[in-house]
This record gives sequence, structure tokens and C-alpha cells, in this order.
Amino acid sequence: MNETLLFQLLLNGIVIGMTYALIAVGLSLIFGVMEIVNFAHGQLYMVGAAAMLLMVSAFGLGYFPALVGAVLLTAVAGFFLYQGLLRHLKQGEFERGIILTLGIGMVIQNGANLLIGASPRVVDTGFSFIQLRAGGLVIDAHRALAMGLAVIALAGLHGVLRFTRLGKAMRAFAQNREAAFMVGMRPSLIAGQAVVLGIALAGLAGASLAPVFTVHPAMGMPVLFKAFAIVIIGGLGHIPGALAAGLIIGVSESLVGGYGSTVMQDAVAFLAMIAILMARPQGLFGKGVRV
Amino acid sequence: MTAEVGRIGLQPASAARTLYRPLLAAAAAAFVLLPWWAPSSYAVNVAILAMTFAVVCTGLNLIFGYAGLLSFAQVGFWGVGAYVSALCAVDLGLSPWLCFVAGGLTAAVIALALGVPALRVSRASFVIVTLSFTLLLGLLARNWVDVTRGPLGIPGLPAPEVSIPGLGTFSGHQPTVFFYIMLVFACIAIGAIRVIVTSPVGRALKALNQNEPLARSQGIHAVRHQLFAFAVSALVTGMAGGLYVFHLSIVDPTIFDVYYVEMMLIIVILGGPGSFWSVIVASGVFTVLPELLRISPDLRLVLFGVVLVGAALVLPGGFGGWLEQRRLRAWRRNLSS
Repeated sequence: MNETLLFQLLLNGIVIGMTYALIAVGLSLIFGVMEIVNFAHGQLYMVGAAAMLLMVSAFGLGYFPALVGAVLLTAVAGFFLYQGLLRHLKQGEFERGIILTLGIGMVIQNGANLLIGASPRVVDTGFSFIQLRAGGLVIDAHRALAMGLAVIALAGLHGVLRFTRLGKAMRAFAQNREAAFMVGMRPSLIAGQAVVLGIALAGLAGASLAPVFTVHPAMGMPVLFKAFAIVIIGGLGHIPGALAAGLIIGVSESLVGGYGSTVMQDAVAFLAMIAILMARPQGLFGKGVRV
Repeated sequence: MTAEVGRIGLQPASAARTLYRPLLAAAAAAFVLLPWWAPSSYAVNVAILAMTFAVVCTGLNLIFGYAGLLSFAQVGFWGVGAYVSALCAVDLGLSPWLCFVAGGLTAAVIALALGVPALRVSRASFVIVTLSFTLLLGLLARNWVDVTRGPLGIPGLPAPEVSIPGLGTFSGHQPTVFFYIMLVFACIAIGAIRVIVTSPVGRALKALNQNEPLARSQGIHAVRHQLFAFAVSALVTGMAGGLYVFHLSIVDPTIFDVYYVEMMLIIVILGGPGSFWSVIVASGVFTVLPELLRISPDLRLVLFGVVLVGAALVLPGGFGGWLEQRRLRAWRRNLSS
């Protein structure tokens, strides 16, 4: 077996897995605090990528200013989505939340189709043809940046959840809603911030991957498919679990794609999800089943 | 006392009430005779689409409206039925009649296999697993070229044929013939689901939906009932998918399009989950209305999204739920006066 190929595949898998984790962690955060599965998450990832395209092509910004602008734009979109729509969901209205977010996702995706057309577009920043090499391994600059940003964002999120009042409040809500109500936490405030944070993470993933892949309105659905499998494998609402599962899926997809077939590569995430549901329904890291 | 209440509740309110049955019969007769007065075969094709959606959405209504499980796998079952039927006809050369039954049975078996892991944890995991299933099938239809022929699909499918002694053989490629094939299938499929929802099984499903712990304490086996409903909805949906692609005479990966997910959800949600006839009426309304308004497909999907958001915010029980609440209010008013 060729060792360089193996290491290259592992590296690619880790890079893509980190960005999967970024998306899945946002999904998990929103589920943990609001108890809704955000079906528009994939489309918000697309909004991040489209905003990056806008910043780079229309405004001529460089990589980092464009990235910051794109993430802010997605976060603002998330803020208005929460204030305008998601805020009206009451607790226990699980199906209603799905229908609402699905509708939002449809409007975003097909609206983008009308606005920018269905054809894929390339985001050309100044780093497009730079590659980093080390010991026979090759990684292009955009991928390295996407992974670095994901690591920074996840570390930052960990810090927020662990050490700030807001983060503690979010964890409190995810653990026990009633108790959090009783000690006087404001659900609308906490939930709003969790939604904006989760959507901003999806936006970051979209913006940092836009130059790696291409930007088109339907790009969100396949990514949502992976993120769903990851949150089930890691345990719904379990954030470190989502990170670990993201890496597992990213690496195994890369290995299967490299040594097997693309058909199997598509199926890996789904089969892993089914296997976990059969063997360990609470997810790899979940402690017990939450209903 | 209860008999008295029932009588008051059923009291006809106006002249419209007494005309209800004859009007319904006339509308049904007009629909059955549609190919003979329709201005074009285009109208017949729209009616075929409406009947297809009526079957598929009644299947979704069984699993979502009655059993309370929001399933996104219906489009997957519909596509499985379509592909299995097409492959049976093209690769094995079987009769289209056998093929579409095989398609439905395959979908039902997959539903049983998928339902076991999907129902294990929570309603959230059911939704996630079923949507993932549909998305995976869409990817497989595109990429598993050896079997599915990839994005180009399988063209030139045969149509089912009907032989009537003394009159000859009629090919389903003619819209009029296919209209009656679909009409018979829709009546059987919808009738079967009607039998299920009014049977003890249907009442058990409703009880599980309203209060699962209570229903289970009464000895109702939750997973067994839910799996049964899931498999039945998959069976009719798969058969409908198979018939539908014989009508189109081609199957390609767009059969798994999100468009169908949206259509089915809009019809069931606006019709009212758990309202049997409202969903069937909604199937007609939401297939005919966009055709009449001639909205471009891209804009149509945006509007569908807006409709879904609006329905989730304003009318969670759908039109059927709204009618039911009105009926209950009138009933209470009668009681108190």
C-alpha cells in the first residue's frame, strides 16, 4: 500500500471533517437549546458561501475581510430569522419547527436560484494557486485556511460554552429547560443567541469552503445530509460528540473514496448512522436516550 | 344524553347542507368522465398528476397525520418504486403490471428495514433518518451508474396495457386509458388506507399519536403499529411511483427531487394532517392551481416555501383542522343554547 496516498487521504479527511464538524456543531447547538432540528442549516451554509462570493467578486475584498463580512452577513440573516420566525415556536412544537425551517430553506435555496442562477461559480481569492507541501503531502492554501479557521472557531466555541455566562446558560438550557426557567433565565434571549451562533458557524463553514469548491444554490443539501448523520452519530445535542463524529465521517469518506468507489463514499455517512442507531441509539458519546 | 348530543351535532344547518350529497355525486361523475369533456389531453395529464398526488399524500397522511411521524422517506419510496418498476420492465422484460407491484413491495420491505433503526430513539431521529434516506437515494440514482444509468435515466419505458374482450387492447400511453388505470388504482389505494384508519389499527395509531405512554399502558404495541403504517404508506407510494413513471415513459434522478417533498408536505399540511378527505381535496387544488396560474417552476418553489412558512405560523392544523375546530365550536354553541 502506498503510504503517501494513505496520509494524503487522511489529511484530506481531517480537513473536510473539521468543516463538517463546524456545521454539525451549529446544528447540535440549536437543537440543544431550542429543541428544533434546523432544516434550513444547509441553505444557511450556502448563504455563507454566496456571501463570500459577493464580497470577493462584487466588492473586490481580500480573503480575510471577505470572510469576516460573509460570516457577519450570515449571522445577521440568522438574527432576523430568529426574531421574525423561529421566536414564535413554542416548546414541544417539534413538527412545526421542522416545517417552518424547511420552508425557510426552500425560500432561500430557490430564491438564490432566481437571483444568481443554478450554475456553479468559482470564488477566486488571492490564494487560489498556493499549495503547501510537507514530506510529499500536498494541501492547498484554501483547505489549510478552512481547517485552521474551523479549529479556531471550535476552540472559541468551547471557550464560550465553558467559561462565559452566556455559554453556561446555553448548556443549562440544553441540560434541563424547566430548571433553567426556574432560576430566571430568559429563554428568548438565550435561544436567540444560540441560533445566531449556530448559523454563524454554518456561515463560516460556507465562506471558508467557497474558494475550495464552487458556489451554487443546491450546495447545501448534500452537506446537511452529512451533518444530520454526524449529529446522530455523535448524539443529538452533544457538541463534543459532533466534533468527533465529524472527523470520523470526514476521514472514512476520504478513505472509502480513495480506495473504494464514489457510490460507497456517498453511502458511508448514512450507513454509519444506521449502524450507530442499531448498536448505540443514544450516539457514540451520549449518556442516555433523551426524548 | 349522548344520542341527543350526536343529533344536535349532525343537524343540517342550511340549504347548502341538503344539496351537499347530490353536488358531491355530480362532481365525482364529472371527474370520472373528464377525458370525454376535457379541452385537451393536457388537462387529462394534470388530472393524472392530481390523482397520483392524492394517493401519495394519503400515504403521507397515514404516517404523519394519523401515526404522528413526520416522514421524509415518502419521496424515497416513490423513487424506489419508480426505479424498481422501470428496471423490472427494461432489464427483466416483465409486464408493467407486475413491475409496479414489485416496486411497491420493494418500497414496503425497505420501509420495514429503515423503520426499525429510525424509530429507536425519538421523533427527531425519525425525521433525520428518513430525510437522509431520501437524499442518499438521490445521490445513488445519480452516481450508481451501473444500475440506474446515472443522470440520463432510463427512457422508453413501456406502458401498462388493458385488454377488454370484444373491444381490443388499449395502451396506457394514451392519456385517456392511463387516466382510468390511475383512477382505479387511486380508488383501491385510498380505499385501503381509509379502511385502515377507520379500523381498530387506525384508532390505535391515533391513540399512540396523542399520548404514547398512555396508549402503551393499554397494551398497544407502539413500534409494531408504527412500522405497519410506515410499510403501508411505502407500499402505496412505491406503487404510485411505478405507475407514474410508466406514464412519463422515463425515469431519471429528478424523481427524488425536493420538489416532490415540498408538494407532498404542502398538500398534507394545508389539507390538514389527520383530515382524510381534506388532504385529497388539497391534492387536487395544489396540482391544478399552479397550472392555472402558470407560475414558472423556479418561482413556484419559492412560493411553496412561503406557503409552508405561513402554514407553520398561522394554520398548524391545516384547512382540515380549521374546519374541524369550526365544527366543534358550532357544536358547543348548540349545546349551550
